[in-house]
Amino acid sequence: MATNAIDQTRRMLSLVTYLRERPGAHVQDVARAFGISEDELISDLDVLPMCGTSFRGGDLLDIDTDGDRIWWHNPDDVAEPLRLAADEATALLVAARAVATLPGLRESDRQALLRATAKLETAAGEVGAASSRLSVTFESEGGVFADVDRAISERRRLWLRYYSPARDELTEREVDPIRLFAVGHTYMEAWCRSSEDRRTFRLDRVAEIRLLDEPAAPPELELRDLSEGLVQPAAEDPEVVVEVGPGGRWVAEYYPHDSAQELSDGGLRIILRTPDPASLRRLALRLGGEGRIVSPPELARSARQAARAALAAYDEPA
Amino acid sequence: MAIAKAERLMNLALCLLGTRRPLSKRELRGSIEAYLEAGSDDAFNRMFERDKDDLRELGLIIETVENLDGDTGYLARRDSNRLPPITLDAEEAAALGLAAKVWQQARLAGAASGALQKLRAAGMPEAEDAYEVHSALEPRIPVHEAAFEPLMLACRDRRPVTFDYRKANAARPEQRQVEPWTLECWRGHWYLAGWDRDRGAERVFRLSRITGRVRSRAGAFTVEVPDVVTVRETVESWAGETATRTARIRLRAGAGYPLRSRAISVRELGDGWDELEIPYGHGLDAWLVEFGPDVVVQEPADLRADVVDRLRAVAKD
Repeated sequence: MATNAIDQTRRMLSLVTYLRERPGAHVQDVARAFGISEDELISDLDVLPMCGTSFRGGDLLDIDTDGDRIWWHNPDDVAEPLRLAADEATALLVAARAVATLPGLRESDRQALLRATAKLETAAGEVGAASSRLSVTFESEGGVFADVDRAISERRRLWLRYYSPARDELTEREVDPIRLFAVGHTYMEAWCRSSEDRRTFRLDRVAEIRLLDEPAAPPELELRDLSEGLVQPAAEDPEVVVEVGPGGRWVAEYYPHDSAQELSDGGLRIILRTPDPASLRRLALRLGGEGRIVSPPELARSARQAARAALAAYDEPA
Repeated sequence: MAIAKAERLMNLALCLLGTRRPLSKRELRGSIEAYLEAGSDDAFNRMFERDKDDLRELGLIIETVENLDGDTGYLARRDSNRLPPITLDAEEAAALGLAAKVWQQARLAGAASGALQKLRAAGMPEAEDAYEVHSALEPRIPVHEAAFEPLMLACRDRRPVTFDYRKANAARPEQRQVEPWTLECWRGHWYLAGWDRDRGAERVFRLSRITGRVRSRAGAFTVEVPDVVTVRETVESWAGETATRTARIRLRAGAGYPLRSRAISVRELGDGWDELEIPYGHGLDAWLVEFGPDVVVQEPADLRADVVDRLRAVAKD
């Protein structure tokens, strides 16, 4: 079982408190209230009858379930709501403060969050103080965000003028928004009518946005699991090899890659995959003397040509 | 099969919470099956110490009391461990439910759910699914850096640390001795602010540049932690967002939207080119080079020279 012992203990302590107030509670309801699967709950219920104040004196918790409902036959008052731990208060307070800063958050949600945060600070008492040692700022483009949020709740199509850094161009397109999420920047996942495909748009690259009257009709899609990272290159995407000196190590921080091998000069040999290697010409130019594209050779060549063409405008020899 | 750790911890918690008088180690060992099976006294003692620490991590206040006969006893008093009354309405509960889901780091995700479960047990109403009812937004706080957890604990407990740190343009990492103050996530990256003991100054570190392990050092902080720590301003100046001058460039019509959106002024030249005035801070040269032949720097001369140098480096390969 993947659950770690600390999390499970924490959960079981709360579970005992919760069950005392609800004789005959349904497995399904309790699992939902605790945000766990029914299997996880059942495994907790397997452990609880082994627990108590003494295994000899018959002071064990007499909790059992028939798989549908849960009964506690000897409830006692050991099960009082427990104070928050420092990490618990920090995790919830920092997250709540961060979410409250999102400019696109609905005002009623923000107010609810601020009220809840204030109550939580009071209830947490001094352990809440450590939460000031951690902070998170989300970035979000207010106006664009509000339009996307509205389009999602009203299920309407959007028209966008969107900037693509890979091509350095603005394109117009109609999209059916699916969801908004924030990982550092704020993004919209949408079904793009122009490319007939799922696309992710970074909101700070939306140059213009309009709500259309047409209803959004995205196809039924499995939502992407974002925990694996935003950019998930496909195995068949072409490989790009970049070698950077010490001054170009940041490439490994900004570009998801398959491998980054240390070089003897303090640099890195980075292997990454992208559906469109030409989009990395910007990177090759930006690196200047701090790195170079090893392959594909076409990409290295196109960066070289771009640099030569640019120098020509300065009347400077290459 | 050995008794699972969660069962052992749960038993210890219930014993300590259930008792009105301090229980000695001997009594606890006699009441908890896993401790009887522990074998040697040494094994039991180590297990017991670790378990107490784990329960304290979960928020339990465990008191150590000397008995009249000199024996050490332990108990977790009900009144010091009780959650103060807190009443949350359904909207507030839903908002906290959304917030608890943002952590992508195991320890904090576990702690956030644990907090919600405690609140739930204390009577917090159940909302329908937070995403459905409330905003369409799904915020996520990414934590990919291995240094995060040890630094978070060091900030929490105010413990000095040492780690190897490679500056953006340094060939080799260098050991730093730091009194860690706060961690801040900005634009999806984590930064640490603290007191750098060797440099005798406040410094900001980017977690992804910490190589190897973060080690705790004994002893206390030597410098008082300031009330306000400014991580963002420092990072912004690295990113060149604190512009001090302006630059004049020519930009091909239709190209370079991000430059246009940051421009102070844009003037059409009519020959397929526009002239822009843009803020000039650290890093502008590298950014302008990305646009290749679509950008020509007019002034100042130092920026023009930097851009030409960078272009030459790419052109010569």
